[in-house]
Amino acid sequence: MDTLINVAHGFGVALAPINLLYCFIGVFIGTLVGVLPGIGPISAMSLLLPVTLSGTPESGIIMMAGIYYGSMYGGSTTSILVNIPGEAASVVTCIDGHQMAKQGRAGPALGISAFGSFIAGTFALVALMLVAPKLASVAIAFGPAEYFSLMVLGLVVLTFLTQGSMAKALLMACIGVVLGLIGLDSITAQPRMTFGRMELIDGIGLVPVVMGLFGVAEVLLNTEQVIRRDIINARITQLLPSKEDWKASAGPMGRGTILGFFLGILPGGGAVVASFASYALEKRLSKTPERFGNGAIEGVAGPEAANNAAAGGAFIPLMTLGIPPNVVMALLLGAFVIHGLQPGPLMITQNPGLFWGIVASMYIGNLMLLVLNLPMIGMWVQLLKLPYNILFPLIILFTIIGVYCSSNNVFDVHVMIAFGVIGYFMRKLGYEPAPLVLAFVLGPMLENNLRKSLILSQGDLTTFVTRPISAVCLLFAVVLLIGPLLPALRKKRELVALDEGA
Amino acid sequence: MDDSSNVKFRLNNSELWGGLIGLGLGIFVIRSGLKLKLGTINDPGSGYVLFYTGILMCVFAATIIVAALTEGGPTFGSRWQNARWTKPAIVIACLIVFAFALDTFGFLLSSIPLTLLLMRLIDPVRWEIAIPVSIIVPAGMWWLLKRALGIQLPSGMFEIG
Repeated sequence: MDTLINVAHGFGVALAPINLLYCFIGVFIGTLVGVLPGIGPISAMSLLLPVTLSGTPESGIIMMAGIYYGSMYGGSTTSILVNIPGEAASVVTCIDGHQMAKQGRAGPALGISAFGSFIAGTFALVALMLVAPKLASVAIAFGPAEYFSLMVLGLVVLTFLTQGSMAKALLMACIGVVLGLIGLDSITAQPRMTFGRMELIDGIGLVPVVMGLFGVAEVLLNTEQVIRRDIINARITQLLPSKEDWKASAGPMGRGTILGFFLGILPGGGAVVASFASYALEKRLSKTPERFGNGAIEGVAGPEAANNAAAGGAFIPLMTLGIPPNVVMALLLGAFVIHGLQPGPLMITQNPGLFWGIVASMYIGNLMLLVLNLPMIGMWVQLLKLPYNILFPLIILFTIIGVYCSSNNVFDVHVMIAFGVIGYFMRKLGYEPAPLVLAFVLGPMLENNLRKSLILSQGDLTTFVTRPISAVCLLFAVVLLIGPLLPALRKKRELVALDEGA
Repeated sequence: MDDSSNVKFRLNNSELWGGLIGLGLGIFVIRSGLKLKLGTINDPGSGYVLFYTGILMCVFAATIIVAALTEGGPTFGSRWQNARWTKPAIVIACLIVFAFALDTFGFLLSSIPLTLLLMRLIDPVRWEIAIPVSIIVPAGMWWLLKRALGIQLPSGMFEIG
């Protein structure tokens, strides 16, 4: 009963005209960046992070969340029609989705992808409503040791899932922690690594770092290649899947939804891992696995459902524990912090309007996406023809304006340009920026909880292994750290490794 | 990757340099941690986490260096093979010049040339499109921010904007 009252309260918040507008802007921009290859949700969210300053916390966070799940929807359009993933979670959709389009079945592929995304998104939201308050009540009992170990696990999982060498990913995570610690020490108020610059006393801002590493670096990387687009030009008809399509897709959609939701909750996991896992599962379960790669609708339905369910599931650790499980959620945490809010176990009880409002807006956003993605497919196809030589300079311009507006400080523009150049060379040398950004956000929390646990336990390090939740987290982290040394696990890691920045 | 692009004991082994930079940063972080005082395990000081993070950085960087020396690694040239490296180099140069110009000349006088240059230099946009877009978009954004949101972008020494 309480849940229903809360949901009704949430819809009251989400249906306020201003929040509806922000929700629409979020899902529209999300679909747009999902459709356009080369710009992912991380770049778009980092670009728009300063915009959240102008409105209420609800509006800003509703918009940011809309960009995330909107991009999951939009990404499939480009994958199916152009064979270029609009964002990383849609890589798998290219395999069978584009084959279906080539066989003249672009309509059903787009249709099942949109319906699958909607159904999975709805399931994830219902699960979020039911699971989050319960988990939050458990999380109240978490102490600094549990938080520290959970954050360590989150960072290790992300480094485990990052493409390329794990040593490089771990090095990036360490650099992220160090960057996060620049500025005044929260306990002793001593300035750290500020090099005498007043601008660094408050630390380096999240906005310039993320915009540089993802926005500017992404543009620099894209300018290296001539982006070729092989758009399916045939008229797209019959978007509604047939009865046979539904029959073939129902199982993969259901399995993808559940798998995606749980993978989304796990720290370090997310939509990309979920879509790959779902594709592998469906191929393994299929009686005719040879159809996969040749236009099997199951290969579109499963992963698309999985990535949307994961996008919903990823909100659980952020909302209940205050720990972002991936970079996108780290950006969302940034939006909360900008407004002076700290997501965590107490947020649901202390700020129910915000929590339930965001959840309800996500449901409304899912409905909006269904409307945006099916009848307006022609418009999105036209957008795919937008010339990149005009788009890229404008993205650079918007990042500069965005960074300046977030702090009214030219120094931050310099920081962004520096991180853009660093990010470009990092990517060229095979160092992924995702662990750095997550560690940058978690760094201060990680340090705070480590120091608190040591003070509370009077320097007893066994506090991390005698507390059950902390011990389990650390055990998993150790297994994942040692794992790549074992050939079997190394092979598995290479299979699921992801490029979060894509 | 062919043999010529995978080298071990060579100065152009990009993996080796990546590891060395990581090692240098790690040593710097350890020194910074020590300067800030480590404190004790009962009461960790400001440099405690930095010091141990620095040590971890050195360990991971050393792993990268060892792997680069034993397994080899791609050369710098192979990293940019088949890539139009001049394009990002031009964008980086433009951005560096812009970073210095922004404070001195202000937003409008620095962003209009930047946009125009990027449009002409990445994949040349026709002049008749590039000129109006590079004037209208920065000026439009400046107007919107100043009038609608009350945000003052840098006006520079000429006080334009």
